[in-house]
Amino acid sequence: MTGAEFGALTALGAVVFLDQWPAVQTMISRPIVVGPIVGAVLGAPTDGVLWGAVLETMALAVQPVGAARYPDAALAGLLGTAAALTGFHEGLFPAGWAVVVAVAAGAAGDAVGRLQRRWNGRTAAGVRARVAAGSLAAPGRGIAVALSRAAALGALQTAVGLAIVLAGVAILGSSAWAGWLDARALQVAAAGMAAVGGVRVLGLEGRRSAAAAAGALAGFALFAWGGP
Amino acid sequence: MSPDRALSRRLKGERRRVALRSTLVQAVWNYDSLQAVGFGWAILPGLERIRPEPAERAQRLHAHLETFNANPYLATVAMGVTLRLEEEIARGAAGAERRLARLLRALRGSLGAIGDDLFWASWRPALGVAAALAALATGSVWPAVVYVLAWNALAQGVRAAGVRAGFAAGAGVARVLQDPFWAGARSGARLGGSFAAGAALGAGAAWATTGGGGWGGAAIFFALVALLWLAGARVGPRGRILPPALAFLVAVAVLGAIRHWTAGAWP
Repeated sequence: MTGAEFGALTALGAVVFLDQWPAVQTMISRPIVVGPIVGAVLGAPTDGVLWGAVLETMALAVQPVGAARYPDAALAGLLGTAAALTGFHEGLFPAGWAVVVAVAAGAAGDAVGRLQRRWNGRTAAGVRARVAAGSLAAPGRGIAVALSRAAALGALQTAVGLAIVLAGVAILGSSAWAGWLDARALQVAAAGMAAVGGVRVLGLEGRRSAAAAAGALAGFALFAWGGP
Repeated sequence: MSPDRALSRRLKGERRRVALRSTLVQAVWNYDSLQAVGFGWAILPGLERIRPEPAERAQRLHAHLETFNANPYLATVAMGVTLRLEEEIARGAAGAERRLARLLRALRGSLGAIGDDLFWASWRPALGVAAALAALATGSVWPAVVYVLAWNALAQGVRAAGVRAGFAAGAGVARVLQDPFWAGARSGARLGGSFAAGAALGAGAAWATTGGGGWGGAAIFFALVALLWLAGARVGPRGRILPPALAFLVAVAVLGAIRHWTAGAWP
């Protein structure tokens, strides 16, 4: 990855962080959109489209309803696609690697989002105090501060994430672990997700739920392992 | 001029500016006042017209900075209602201030629930499934472009229309939202989301049986599994068995390790 590509993806990280919840919410932060953009930046637009679609299906399971906490789908889409494409360039079969990066990025981005919300609390308290003192410009200034901070956080978390992805690719790509997180592992892991989802559909709880999850996991794993 | 026409012309320019500013309603979202700062900033153009005196305006603005939350696209309905009642408050109508506070408290719940069902639980999954499958099948960037256009046609359209609708309804907005139409719309939206998931499952199965295979086969398999997860999240019990991310990581790590171990090829 060149410096220009790194810089472009970092800038993209700032934009999608803003779009995810602080500003406008046009959904350009969804993996289905972020994937093709990352692909275009890294010179593999078609692969970016496919990875964006796969990571979108992961993010579809999460709905920001009510007070739910949810992973950062934008960062997951950006870093997951970047991991897949750079891993492929380095001879590392990228499927499992990309998904693991996406899941970890989603969790890390959620933590950064909560931090931003806490800082926003201080900004909001300051705005209220200034408006009480008669300032009508305070809300506008507060919004400018919050958006600038969000953009900076988005860029920072993307830059750190990209550095970790590049380091991971360098370590995994040149080791005997290359190929460990391969397509079959992806299928097996996906079977695990199916088992949990299946148990929810059945509506089982308690021990029956645990037994059904274990059985479903084993059945799906065996099928994925030896299936066509 | 008829009363309806006069009403639709009142604060017209200001309402447009409010709708535009509502795009930043979540900019200062926080755990105490939620969207309140964004809400207050968005309605400022209307308050400026209603309350030309800065000290009075600051006082009314401060009243709106306590707590507010709603679905971000439907928050504009509450903004329209607020402008209408702020006019009444400025005219000195008895009890208008108390009525507005009570209405906004009620709107938080109903606009949140309706918006979450329409946008997050239905429209986005349905569009996402369609776009993801189209992208996997074609490898083209166009599904992503259509996804963004279709989302914004609805979401930003609702945002723009919300201020007008809220302003026209005024205090009657509670009656409007209690109309059985909304219960039907929410139920229909949930059915639409389920239909999209089912359609995607059928399409994926057809593709798999007619020879997807390879990388594409794995991708479609993954899509099917994610859809099952989605269906489970919506139909099953509310309690989590495992957080999805943790379940997924555990499955990757444990099953990948077992496979590698059985292949006798630890590094």
